[in-house]
Amino acid sequence: MSDKIICRCEEVLLSEIVEAMKTGAQTEKELKLKTRAGMGICQGRTCRPLLEQIISFYTNKKIPQASNLTFSIPVRPLSLSALAHTGKDYKNEN
Amino acid sequence: MEIADAVVIGGGVIGTSIAYRLAEDRNVILIEKGEVGSGTSGACDKAIFLQSKQPGFPVRLAKASKEIYENLQAELEEPIEFKKGGGMIVIEKEAHLDFMKEFVKKQYKAGIDVNLLDRKETLAIQPALSETIAGSTFSTEDAEVNPLLLSQAFAAAAKRRGASIQTYTEVTGIKTQDGKITGVQTNQGYIATELVINAAGPFASQIAEMAGVGLTIMPRRGVILISEKVEPMINGNILCSQYMASKHFTSKSEKNAPSYGIGLSLGQTESGNLLIGGSREFKGYDRKVEPHVLSAIAAHACRIAPALNKIKIIRSMVGFRPYTGDGLPIIDWAREVDGFVVAAGHEGDGIALAPITGKLVTGLVNNDSKSSDLLEPLKMDRLQVV
Repeated sequence: MSDKIICRCEEVLLSEIVEAMKTGAQTEKELKLKTRAGMGICQGRTCRPLLEQIISFYTNKKIPQASNLTFSIPVRPLSLSALAHTGKDYKNEN
Repeated sequence: MEIADAVVIGGGVIGTSIAYRLAEDRNVILIEKGEVGSGTSGACDKAIFLQSKQPGFPVRLAKASKEIYENLQAELEEPIEFKKGGGMIVIEKEAHLDFMKEFVKKQYKAGIDVNLLDRKETLAIQPALSETIAGSTFSTEDAEVNPLLLSQAFAAAAKRRGASIQTYTEVTGIKTQDGKITGVQTNQGYIATELVINAAGPFASQIAEMAGVGLTIMPRRGVILISEKVEPMINGNILCSQYMASKHFTSKSEKNAPSYGIGLSLGQTESGNLLIGGSREFKGYDRKVEPHVLSAIAAHACRIAPALNKIKIIRSMVGFRPYTGDGLPIIDWAREVDGFVVAAGHEGDGIALAPITGKLVTGLVNNDSKSSDLLEPLKMDRLQVV
């Protein structure tokens, strides 16, 4: 059977997602903790809708309007030094 | 209605560890309001530090826990990525040299193999660090574990022993009669039980209140930055002496203390992501981290480890560490009602202390005299205002 890549950043296959669901995972967060899907550099921008569809397919739950996974800053990758220089309180840090 | 010998409230590393031990000869139900390991235990670093603990009882407790870690992976029959990679505390400023020297002496006496390294020796182990640091302390006894896998592994092993793990289930009330626990009400139903273990971490106070038990555990917010995957560049885990100062000596060095309780904690996961911490703040349960907190963490890390400058940060994570006030958890029976155990308040040491906590709670409820030595300093009444 040909498999499909669901999370490209972490290279998680559809078969791995389905296997995780068979062993009890029912939400995006559980799938993420078990398979790393959504934990890569794009933070689920590609796989989030796919995961939602898969969950909906196997649990018969509606696809949620808003994602169940939380977003956290920085919302796009930022180098550590760039992040260091954006804060107002940078000088007070010492 | 369900019936259980014991109900464990909280499915983090602490609650799952307790459920696993209790399930050996009890019918256990674990209640978790979200997913297993999705709260504080899923927003922390992976280090199991011995040398960062206060010499004396905290070191003894951490050592007892680490002994269990040595064989835990085989015992649970689940991967937890336990590794003895060593640990380092970087001394950034000359001003911290004296108290760190003193600290190492005491740690050595307490039986921890820890050495003071100069700048050159430090950089030989961790080339990512700045050439301006003063030195470091290094111990081969410090280790690490994957906290996400740890909660999952304890939960899976508890299930195999017959425990029922009920996720998306929230405790709404705790029933008592004639001064005894009689059951737990959840949004999914009622469980009759005479034994409740409160392992709700930063929410332990609210759970205790439902049983009429007074308990002060405050949420202390910690933020950690997560990087993209990179080649291995950090050996074991790193803390900085400022972290130690923030953790143990806040009252003494308050004048010069950095904003947001910043102190470096740095490590690299098996997958290659760097975990760069962190802050320590009292902000209630507010998950919205101000950007300047992230900047302060980043600036501190850049200064100590300039090799990280160009590495991309892909997200941050927020955890609420359960804070008791004296750096030790509470593992004790409640005085107000029979059948209610508190096992919470591990703050930043939950990962290090999860294995021993499961054993100590079991020892407590079985009235096992072997545990009393380690349980004595964890009693609740030590924190009462005199």
